[in-house]
Amino acid sequence: MNRGLRWVGYGVALAGVVFAVVLASRFGVDPGLVDSPLLGKPAPEFTLAPLEGGDTVSLSDLQGEIVVVNFFASWCLQCRNEHQAITSTADAFADQGVTFVQISYQESPPVSLEYLKGAGRSDAALYLADPGSRTAIAYGVFGIPETFFVDEEGTVVGKIIGESDAMTLGATIDAIKRGETPGQSVTGDTQQRPDA
Amino acid sequence: MSDRLRTTLSIGLLVVMAAAMLTLILTNPSDPDRVQAIGERIKCPVCQGESIANSPSAMAQDMMALVAERVDQGVSDDEIVAELLASYSGAVLLDPPVGGATLALWLVPVVAVILGVAVIWWWRRHPSPEPASEDGDAATSGGRLAPLLILGATLAVAVVVAGFFIQEREGPNEGVANLGAQDLDDVSNETMEAVIAANADNPQVDGMRLALAERYYEEGDFRSAFPHYLEVAGSENATDTQVATSLIRLGWMAWEGNAEAETATGLFDQALEIDPGSDTARYLKAQVLWCGSDAPEQAASLLEEVLADPDLSADSRTQVESDLAAIESGETCT
Repeated sequence: MNRGLRWVGYGVALAGVVFAVVLASRFGVDPGLVDSPLLGKPAPEFTLAPLEGGDTVSLSDLQGEIVVVNFFASWCLQCRNEHQAITSTADAFADQGVTFVQISYQESPPVSLEYLKGAGRSDAALYLADPGSRTAIAYGVFGIPETFFVDEEGTVVGKIIGESDAMTLGATIDAIKRGETPGQSVTGDTQQRPDA
Repeated sequence: MSDRLRTTLSIGLLVVMAAAMLTLILTNPSDPDRVQAIGERIKCPVCQGESIANSPSAMAQDMMALVAERVDQGVSDDEIVAELLASYSGAVLLDPPVGGATLALWLVPVVAVILGVAVIWWWRRHPSPEPASEDGDAATSGGRLAPLLILGATLAVAVVVAGFFIQEREGPNEGVANLGAQDLDDVSNETMEAVIAANADNPQVDGMRLALAERYYEEGDFRSAFPHYLEVAGSENATDTQVATSLIRLGWMAWEGNAEAETATGLFDQALEIDPGSDTARYLKAQVLWCGSDAPEQAASLLEEVLADPDLSADSRTQVESDLAAIESGETCT
């Protein structure tokens, strides 16, 4: 092979390597792991009915409290794993100005209710239906579980992607009480609906 | 039909067709078309590289329903896309935005085209030499081309680096710290108490309970530490080390807090049954025997056992040797 062609080969190979590095390092990242654009912004308002039906609940009704918004479903294994931690933390912080709101994601209310019957629920938490996934879309949910933390001013200050545990939830709430912005944390995988 | 008429008809037909096309272009597309067009710009967040318009997933259909509702409400295309961007960021766009790290995606093809044109131009001005002179001129031509190719590759690298740099500077959540891994140091005593109380039946709570008890102990708050050590000491789920540590602490608090020498030595003995190699249990028991039970010989014997441990740290060894010398010289405990 003559030297000219060899140099052309080197150039093409180098350009290919550069492009491959870009693709591998940047564009291979799970898009669900990007920082939520909601962080530092007012939390999207929602008005949702409880899973059992009845009077609706709005986020604005809870202004002045720290609100933990968790998206869950019975088909989500990670949600099942974290459920006890969420329930117990909701109980533990019930009298400290913290309200847990669990929103059923891509699941009919009767199915979610049946699941909660077995998994247990906190008297202090709210369990809401999200018809048409409007609230999930407003919160930019990619997969579940995803948990958002809204401070007393109504600003999204934290997000946990993946399964939570009691310590992580407690520490995040503590940080918010101290006026900090915990930001986003990835604790594990999320799940899509099996037929998605 | 005359040629003139045929030409006139052809021109007329062309004008009509052009007018019809212009009308189609200038007229606003119908609502279903708008919904479809917007949907094709938005990536389905639960799929692999599919638009919400083409994905059969329930989430994509819900998003399409939202888009259709917004179109019905008279919201503009850009406003609808902006609403979804506000929730999902640019990650939801099928066409990456021009800027940041994705700048490379847009510029690399442009750079490639420029390079290609440059190469063709170069070769046209420097045609391939005759086979007879291949080794000479071709090598020279290739050698001249090399800097151009290296320049192009360098430019591509610069674009990529610049893209990353811009992305870093334009970070969407500037000023918002990452939560990161949780450390118990970040958690208040009150929160730990609340979490422990709420997880009292959780077999994994012993570690957290011991950590909180240790925190109280270090603060000298024996009253708060006591019930947690007691729980861990009696827990069936706690490890031997956790139980032994709790017994040792309970023993020392019994001595320090209430001067209960017998209770303290009993607890140290229990700890030594579980962890026979515990120098801490031996040393503290020696302290109680010397200071509270008037049994310096037993205390000295225990201290000698401690000194026999080759892994004893230098500081601890110095302290134990000092105490042993004091006992052997008949000094009373102070």
